[in-house]
Amino acid sequence: MRLAGHDGPITLLSEENHQPYSRVPLSKTVLAGNDPTERAMLPAASGDIDVRLNTRAERLDVTGRRVHLADGERLRYDGLVIATGARARRLAGRPAGEAVLRTLDDAALLAGRLATAGSVLVVGGGFLGMEIASTCRALGKAVTVIDRDPPLVRLLGSWLAELLTGAALDHGIRLVHAPGGVTLTGTDSIDGVTHAAGALTADLVISAVGDQPNIEWLQGSGLELRGGVVVDERCLAAPGIVAAGDVAIRRIGDLLQPRTPHWSNAVEQARAAARALLDPDGCPAYQPDPYFWTEQSGLDVKISGHLPLAGTPVVLDGSLPGRSALVQWHDDRGPVAAAAINYKIPVVRLKRFGYRAETSTSDRSIVRYLR
Amino acid sequence: MKSVTVDENRCEGHGLCQDTAPDIFELNDDGVAVVLHHPIPPALTRQAEAGVRVCPVAALRIAES
Repeated sequence: MRLAGHDGPITLLSEENHQPYSRVPLSKTVLAGNDPTERAMLPAASGDIDVRLNTRAERLDVTGRRVHLADGERLRYDGLVIATGARARRLAGRPAGEAVLRTLDDAALLAGRLATAGSVLVVGGGFLGMEIASTCRALGKAVTVIDRDPPLVRLLGSWLAELLTGAALDHGIRLVHAPGGVTLTGTDSIDGVTHAAGALTADLVISAVGDQPNIEWLQGSGLELRGGVVVDERCLAAPGIVAAGDVAIRRIGDLLQPRTPHWSNAVEQARAAARALLDPDGCPAYQPDPYFWTEQSGLDVKISGHLPLAGTPVVLDGSLPGRSALVQWHDDRGPVAAAAINYKIPVVRLKRFGYRAETSTSDRSIVRYLR
Repeated sequence: MKSVTVDENRCEGHGLCQDTAPDIFELNDDGVAVVLHHPIPPALTRQAEAGVRVCPVAALRIAES
């Protein structure tokens, strides 16, 4: 908002009791105990932004332009940004004490429990589950990941998923496929799961089974909620109300796009939403520039392009056996996505091989340009 | 006047700082962020403040110099 030229007052509400922080290091250095939680803190907001922590929004009154807070206060606004994000999903019918990793407090708690655990069971083989498994394995823990789907395939496509699961197996992570799903076991605390083919136990069981958007407070507001706050191509949910990040669902034409709960989308969509709030008629449509990354089992993968990635890529530079490569996916019209696997390249350049690729450029000229 | 610093050991080269604040940040050939102005000209302070806050690994800091 400040960058887009808004000089008026800004109030930032947060249910959490921490100043703004990044969730990215939580599954890595913070969980490993290598970094104190303070290392995840972002530079503090400038003094002209009123940050109110421990402040939960309970209801939105669109007509009266007010947000009702848990303590009864009603805050009036001229413009509203809905960025309430998502929370960790938990398995249905759970016993008490299900461990998840979403917040700074979750990470600090788990880092403490991990220090004395010999074995770890991760329920869910998505980005988060596989990163948690990698961190725990690097600490020498006996690590098992269980999922109803093969890890990462639905998110990344089969080629990258196989590369990463191969690396996980090489690192000694055990992968269990439970197509019928799992049930958590334990009384006071979770100590394992049962599934159709058997049962598993571990000193520490962590659920990494996705997220769900924080939209309950908007029920009855009149905003369209479809598993997220529905916004138009400019990020507007209603006049004077924008939404961005993990909570937002974009409507493009008649189609609703799935939520994109990733850091780079949150940053870029927030910027577009701020502009739309200040200048709804003059702002351009939000054009996502899809960029994702993951670090696990010794592989650092940066991806430019829409996920999942279909088919087998070509190697533009480096080599896969050498574990450092720049690879590119094509459809019948030309390049559509690229990934840097343990391969140093400025991301702006990666994007020129990936989502921003010129479809007319041949691979040969791309490699020449690269060098 | 403010100054921006990059923790090069933490920078993972995702380039969000450059996307957000192209007048302040650039990624070098190793994919590590470099700061283009020391100190930050007052007219670019807002941009620098926005750029340091989008780093996913909290590798950027801004302070009075």
